Amino acid sequence: MPGTVDYIFSVATFAAEVAVLLCLARQRSLSRYFFVVLYMLASLIVHVGRYTVLFSLGLKSPEYFYFYYYSDALLSICLFFVLMGLYTQAFSDMGVKKYLRVGALVLLGGTAWFSYGIVEQMAIKESHLMLTRVVVEMSQNLYFVGLVLTYLLWGAMLKVRENRLRLIQIVLVLGIYFSVFAANYAFRNLDPQFSLIWRYVPPLMGAVLPVAWYMTFWKIPEDARLATARVAPVHHRQ
Amino acid sequence: MNRWLTVVVVALLVLVGAMGLKTAVVADSSDTPVMTANGGGPVPPSPWKNGGGPVPPSPWKNGGGPVPPSPWK
Repeated sequence: MPGTVDYIFSVATFAAEVAVLLCLARQRSLSRYFFVVLYMLASLIVHVGRYTVLFSLGLKSPEYFYFYYYSDALLSICLFFVLMGLYTQAFSDMGVKKYLRVGALVLLGGTAWFSYGIVEQMAIKESHLMLTRVVVEMSQNLYFVGLVLTYLLWGAMLKVRENRLRLIQIVLVLGIYFSVFAANYAFRNLDPQFSLIWRYVPPLMGAVLPVAWYMTFWKIPEDARLATARVAPVHHRQ
Repeated sequence: MNRWLTVVVVALLVLVGAMGLKTAVVADSSDTPVMTANGGGPVPPSPWKNGGGPVPPSPWKNGGGPVPPSPWK
């Protein structure tokens, strides 16, 4: 069963997700950040569902195992759509919405196909086992796709000199979130003896993401702009 | 037409980059549990490490990700 630390992280994550939703509702920005709202709502439902299954059937039950990984895949897909929503916002002036949609679908389909390809090589005979493996593999692959997409978005935002502070903050938080997971995974492979530390990084980051987004929505107004550095001509006196 | 092809090529490049990154990160990991992140709740234990019953063929040899619980338990 989960320990005290697990409960603390869970309560913090739950509270922060509710706070994000309330903050966006108060600012009447629910439709503007539709995919963020969708992710937060899905995460809240999954939160409740996981603990319901956990308390009724136990940590080691197959039901909890299936529910946990299937819901994780669902949330990964939601997070992918959050990222595509941020792309749409960042490039809203360029009129590339339809290209972004097609690109997102190609990427999602490609990730699913790639995940299926990996699992197919394992030659698992039972179809339900294979489906679960595909779902888990796809969820994991989507993290890395999200990581690359976040860095690409950040690079593009730097290139086009994006100055919407709120958008910058949301993307940066997402970049940290994905990067810490990838780093945690790599370190865990390199040094498994510190597994206690690596174990608590994912739930910690799971709480950091909604907390940081809540701070962003709460502290930074929609029209806040980043002050760009002024390039003043320097006249050297001869 | 060129724009659509560019979209497809960029999407596939992102996919290749992401999978390359994943390969680099999970290199030499034969028994590392799956990376989990979304939502709350404790990560369920690997079912083949706990309890008895026949263990399914280990998929760790062929890549990452956990095995679903064995159906004959």
